[in-house]
Amino acid sequence: MPQLTPLYRLLTPLLQTLRSPPTLRSFSTTSSLSAGPPKKKVNVDPRITLIRYHLQHPKTPRPLKLSRLRGLRHWTIHRAWMLMRRKREEKESAELYRMYQSMSKANELLRTMDPPGMKDAGRLYRIAQEKKGIFGHGGVPIEYARWQTDTPGREPWNHGWTR
Amino acid sequence: MTTCRRAARSLAECLRINHHSKTYSIPIRAFASSACSNEVAQAATETVTPTFDPNTVTSIKGERTLMKTGVLPVGSRRRRAAVKTSDNIPFELLPYQCFQEARKVLMEDRQEKLELIKKERLRISNLLAADYSNKPNGEQLKHARLAGMRQHLEYLKIQADINDPLIKKRFEDGESDMTKPIYRYLADRKWRAHQHKLIVQRIDQLGIVPDLLPQFEPTAEVRMAFGKRVVHPGEFIDSRVSEMMPRLNVQVFDKGERLITVIVFDSDVPDLNNDGFTSRIHYMASNIPMSPTDTSLPFSHASKEDQLVHSWIPPFAQKGSPYHRYSVWVLQQESGKLNVEELRQLKREGGNLRWIQPKFKLDPIGVHVFRSIWDEGTAGVMERAGVDGADVEFKRKKIEALKPKQKARGWEARHAGPKYASLRKGRDAHLKRVVKKHTRGRKGGH
Repeated sequence: MPQLTPLYRLLTPLLQTLRSPPTLRSFSTTSSLSAGPPKKKVNVDPRITLIRYHLQHPKTPRPLKLSRLRGLRHWTIHRAWMLMRRKREEKESAELYRMYQSMSKANELLRTMDPPGMKDAGRLYRIAQEKKGIFGHGGVPIEYARWQTDTPGREPWNHGWTR
Repeated sequence: MTTCRRAARSLAECLRINHHSKTYSIPIRAFASSACSNEVAQAATETVTPTFDPNTVTSIKGERTLMKTGVLPVGSRRRRAAVKTSDNIPFELLPYQCFQEARKVLMEDRQEKLELIKKERLRISNLLAADYSNKPNGEQLKHARLAGMRQHLEYLKIQADINDPLIKKRFEDGESDMTKPIYRYLADRKWRAHQHKLIVQRIDQLGIVPDLLPQFEPTAEVRMAFGKRVVHPGEFIDSRVSEMMPRLNVQVFDKGERLITVIVFDSDVPDLNNDGFTSRIHYMASNIPMSPTDTSLPFSHASKEDQLVHSWIPPFAQKGSPYHRYSVWVLQQESGKLNVEELRQLKREGGNLRWIQPKFKLDPIGVHVFRSIWDEGTAGVMERAGVDGADVEFKRKKIEALKPKQKARGWEARHAGPKYASLRKGRDAHLKRVVKKHTRGRKGGH
């Protein structure tokens, strides 16, 4: 009795196709004639055979079926979950929107603070627009820390690296 | 011990039958208490007139007694036994933690929606009280705003109830209350999932839309049956079945009472004088009250004084004419009650929805289609309905080609003689006959 490991299960139909058909040694040497007309061989797609084999295998779990009320409870929980998730996402996006609005309002205030023609008109605004130091002091974006390639390197990150 | 238990079981069964209306909570172990024996004594006196609950009856005797009174027991015996021995907790109170948490979340959301509804109602009443007369296009602006706000209010009403599992359950069980917007919304969604698509497809396939109306979008569900025979859209109906008046079931999904008109058209009546087809009104009734809760519409119930315009003529398709499309139109009356006397002036023959609809301000909301063709029963149906023309058979007029018939040429002509008869054996039998005729003709001509 072979062990039913997953690998063995995967390979069983393939093995069956590779194995030679069962040879029954007959007593007579003349070719045996089967009764009736020769049956047509139906060519089934091996992929379909494989899918059937795995779906109908006793180790494959049966499709999940819920009873009426259990299904209804499941539905209730699902609806509540979706509702909660949507509310959370809406809250987050509203917060982001509020922050963005307040920043742009502050910028607008700085831009129009000084009357035009003054020596230092818009100085604070220009300073506020500077992107200096947003990637750390004297830093560059992390994307530029490594040579840009189409595929990742064999070693994703060298943790032992020191200067 | 065992005999004792057996006796207790029989006693418990006795109790179950008699005290079915209580939630069954007396376990078998309780046989030793004195209170129980009192109850047993009572039971012994009451067994003369036992009453059975169809939800919890499990004994064969009880089932038979119930069925004799005309009440069928609910579900299987196994289910009934389960119901009887469980504590009958209502669905919404089932002690599943995640379910209860989910219900809390949904109830909270519902409270929020109810607050929003209250606010929206207040806004609408404020807008109604506001004066828009001094603004340019004030009235129009007010109407537009009101329409928008009302639409939003309807949306909120549905959103408040859409997540309720009990409402979903009641709708699926067919216990929906059509006066409530949520049930109407669910019914509309269910209709649009399949039946609406089906009727739209049939309208398109049978050419109802360009032939009877330039455009049409059904908004009400129309079901039809001749007695017990349910008619699916576009089906061929035997003329003997359609001899009796049908019964319509019109489900509208918007609230309120309205008056409707029903017209049945045959749009394929052969018109010999013009070498074409005309239409005919087979039935017409007006001023029929209809609401989401009141859906049944039997044709035979139309009152003769103020509803029936044209009485029912059974569908008949004369022999040889192509199949007839019978379309049943449900039209909403925009201008209130119609005068039946005025409607009776409409002629049956050549009645056309294209001008009836705008003339009487009728808004088409639903349609049903069936087809009919000459069958064995049509002659009898026509005779009983007093329609003559059952002996008429339509035939296509054969138009002879102006070009002279071509003689057989090539291989066929060369092998047409009796010498090659064996070649033609078993195949081209019709060709053989044609060829023979030709040869005979030639002989005669010479």
